[in-house]
Amino acid sequence: MKKSKMKRTIILGILCLISMSASVGYSVLYNDSRLVAPMRFSEYEFRTQDLPMIISGVLLAAYVLYLLLLLVPAIMENKRNAKNSVTTRKINPKMGLIGFFGFFGFLGFWTYGVNKTIFPFVFFLFFGFFGLFYEGKMSNTYMDERYRENRMKARLMADKIALAIIFIAVLLLGQGGLMGNLEYTLIAIIVIVALSLALNLFLGEYLLYHYDQDELLDESEE
Amino acid sequence: MADFECRLKKYRQLMELTQEQLAEQVGVRRETIMRLEKAQYNPSLKLAVDISRAVKTPIEEIFIFK
Repeated sequence: MKKSKMKRTIILGILCLISMSASVGYSVLYNDSRLVAPMRFSEYEFRTQDLPMIISGVLLAAYVLYLLLLLVPAIMENKRNAKNSVTTRKINPKMGLIGFFGFFGFLGFWTYGVNKTIFPFVFFLFFGFFGLFYEGKMSNTYMDERYRENRMKARLMADKIALAIIFIAVLLLGQGGLMGNLEYTLIAIIVIVALSLALNLFLGEYLLYHYDQDELLDESEE
Repeated sequence: MADFECRLKKYRQLMELTQEQLAEQVGVRRETIMRLEKAQYNPSLKLAVDISRAVKTPIEEIFIFK
């Protein structure tokens, strides 16, 4: 993306954010928090004081659409380039630190206790990003036939392990539920599936690195 | 692991090629050549043919399957 285009996108985003913040402030202070607090839209009646919220909402939606129109072709092009590339992508091993976001998954226990919200458990998926550490170590590596073979072997092994964990967990939980409570059982399934997928992401990169590096020979062979 | 014997090192040295040079000629990484020489990697037919051409030696003399 060109610098000018990126600058324009960021400025538009900031403008949308400012307009939304101002509208929310106006609605909370002068309009009984209409369109901010949860409400039934089937009983909604238009008021002119709602206009700031409606306009900033439309602006925000248009901005999100604009972002999507920008991002989707960029992602597609990246994928096309990756397919034709003969080297692995350049990644800093420090990107593996993103994996620490996985600890946010524990927030799910708190949010479930407060208002029965369970979506934060999905954050456990982020543990998979620890794999970026190993991907970073193999950054910009020429992908010859041995590399591709090892990559396939690593992914196959990671898929098998993750699938086996999910299968066993579903089988065991399906027997009698967790402490006889259906909600706990569903939460356990969400946690296990998220952790298994994270393990799958991590193992794919870890095993590839392991297969590629663990048989390192003496460099003085020549 | 090795179910074959690889005499690549001998023929590579006869051609006075380094692992790096041979790797570049046949389009693989140096590590792949290292593992081939230790018979720790079973190459594809294409790679075997490319190597045989690079060191100017018949395949069956480089890779000996037991």
